[in-house]
Amino acid sequence: MGLTRWLLRQAAMHPRPLVVTAVYGTRARLLTEAELARRSWVPADAPGEANLLIVCGHASHELDEAVRTVWSDMSGPRARVDVPSEASPHQVTQALEHATEQLGDAQAQWQDAAARVAAPWVPGSSDAGDQAAMHEGGHGTSDEHEHEGGGHLNQEQAGGEAEHGAHGGHGGGHHEHHMGSPGGLPMAERGPDRDGLSLDRLHVPLGPILADWPSGLVVETVLQGDVIQEATVKVMPGIGTGGSFWDEPWIMAAEGHPVSRAEAARRRAAARLDGLGRLLAVAGWASAAGQGRSLRDRLLADAPPAELAPPYTRFARRVRRSRTLRWMLRNVGAIGEGDALSRLERWLAATSAAIAALDDNTPLEEQPPSRHEPEGLLPHLLIGAELATARLIVASLDPDLDRNQVAHV
Amino acid sequence: MSEQTPVWSVIALPAVLAALALAAAVLDAVLGGFRASSPLGEVARLLVQQRRRTLLPDTLLLRIGVVSLVVAPVLAGIVIPLGDIAVADLAVGIVWFNAMEVCVWGSLWLTGWSVNSVYPLVGAYRFVAQGLAYELPHMFALITVGLGAGSLRMSDAVRAQQELWFVVWMPLAFLVYLISALAMAFWGPMGAPLGGDIAGGSRAELSGPDRLLFQSGRYVLLVVAAAAAVPLFLGGGAGPLLPSWLWALIKTAAVLGLLVWVRHRVPVVRMDRFTQCSWLVLIPVSLLQLLVVGVVVL
Repeated sequence: MGLTRWLLRQAAMHPRPLVVTAVYGTRARLLTEAELARRSWVPADAPGEANLLIVCGHASHELDEAVRTVWSDMSGPRARVDVPSEASPHQVTQALEHATEQLGDAQAQWQDAAARVAAPWVPGSSDAGDQAAMHEGGHGTSDEHEHEGGGHLNQEQAGGEAEHGAHGGHGGGHHEHHMGSPGGLPMAERGPDRDGLSLDRLHVPLGPILADWPSGLVVETVLQGDVIQEATVKVMPGIGTGGSFWDEPWIMAAEGHPVSRAEAARRRAAARLDGLGRLLAVAGWASAAGQGRSLRDRLLADAPPAELAPPYTRFARRVRRSRTLRWMLRNVGAIGEGDALSRLERWLAATSAAIAALDDNTPLEEQPPSRHEPEGLLPHLLIGAELATARLIVASLDPDLDRNQVAHV
Repeated sequence: MSEQTPVWSVIALPAVLAALALAAAVLDAVLGGFRASSPLGEVARLLVQQRRRTLLPDTLLLRIGVVSLVVAPVLAGIVIPLGDIAVADLAVGIVWFNAMEVCVWGSLWLTGWSVNSVYPLVGAYRFVAQGLAYELPHMFALITVGLGAGSLRMSDAVRAQQELWFVVWMPLAFLVYLISALAMAFWGPMGAPLGGDIAGGSRAELSGPDRLLFQSGRYVLLVVAAAAAVPLFLGGGAGPLLPSWLWALIKTAAVLGLLVWVRHRVPVVRMDRFTQCSWLVLIPVSLLQLLVVGVVVL
């Protein structure tokens, strides 16, 4: 007992947070990410890796279901933190502080574990059956008729699974009614793939809970192997008002508030660096992604321009010089204006220009920088792409769903 | 070389591997801007974490996959001499090393497949593609060493380098070996099977003890890949003043440090692009090296 307590305390000092962002939760996410970096907590790629779930912004009903599923599947010891959209940096610090205490609190964790043992595990246990679990991109169930399948069937099969688990897999006879449909799930149907083989078709939604994925975006895919055969884009509605965090200076200016060009440039540079951080992270270059994100955090923390320009120049040089990165981004997601590599270069140039304008105190008059709405392009670009390429395409288009949404009050 | 393997070496091998694996994890954390204590914190966290449940996993295959990921690199390590002493200096040591490290294909595939989840499965697919890309150049690089030494015994390879290290006259084979060492340990630029873009790939659904074993196995694999470069290319324990075991350790640490550092310098390489490079560049290069070495040996 003493050893467990000690290990719990040690573990609590090194949590692995999984950050989930709702639409309009960008500001909360940025504060959270800055605080996580300050504490040098290693972020988790997946719910399986995490012991701390951080929800930024106000989750809509749909997202909330996915969050609850992820939470119910998360192994203990665990803690959950909700960071409201309007949270102050101090509140974020406090919330994370509290999470550490909770993770190290043996009593609370045992109670949590006991409560979970008492209520048998039901895969995808939220109301919508395993729909929400699927959003997390997790369990490889695959059925064309999943949508009609509905909650009831899923509840039943889930009961069967819990029982199966209890028998340690030695069950046998009483599972015969599952024959042909393991766990009560229909088998995957097959279809011809690009090489003329007949392969299983898996229905896998990408998002909304996925590391380095635009908040609020869900791409429902049909996968064969890791190649996307069909893709449908869904946008999760957000709860809240106002536009994108990244457009704030322009919205304020349009409403008649005094906003300087410097403020707008700061926000613009931070937006680009946020996009760059995500693209580099998806490209598997955590080190450069971290560099970009730390610059972003310093921009948003109002660091003086003289302290930003030299490190940015170093960062941009490092990214531009990477031959491997160029090799990997070339001809990825090519549309009229260019491929992922050319978008990366445009972002670097735009950030550089914005950082150069950080001293410009004249009032902001122009319109926000026009941005395409790339969600419409996605299905076309993603079909036929491998998952890795698909992730790069999405990250390189950097859709901002806070911006394109009609505000729901 | 001693004919009798001392008993202590059987205990020393896992201890040295574990120490180097921990050192690699700490170095990786520090280079990544995290605390040096974070790998130990992670061990504590995984020791107290519960197992994660997925729908209809194949638990037996999962255990085999995860455990073999630790066992295979340790078995590969028995032929690597620490200075003058290897746990087992087999006559076919180089082939043994290669065979054990190929077991990792199975480990990663079983781990990815058995949890019955999409992203781990995709990670497993990726590793199979990666294996097809790296294994042939890797084997040619190993064969080049065997040809240069005129033997497949690790200690013979070391002895053959008393005059001149193999890295000097087979630099291409060494380069190919380093790239394939990254691929074999699915590390850094070759880390796509565990990519963050697929939620951690093959290990996405692992938690608690399973993840601890998986992560340890991966670091041990990296250590073994680095350690084998020393007798194969870097003259084994040869060096002035210091005892040979210390030289072997220093060289291993240097190669290991290089491999860990590369992860922070280079983004992940996708196999759809790398396969072409592997088959059109690396295989010809390694064959050319083999030819040159063959001519010199004749």
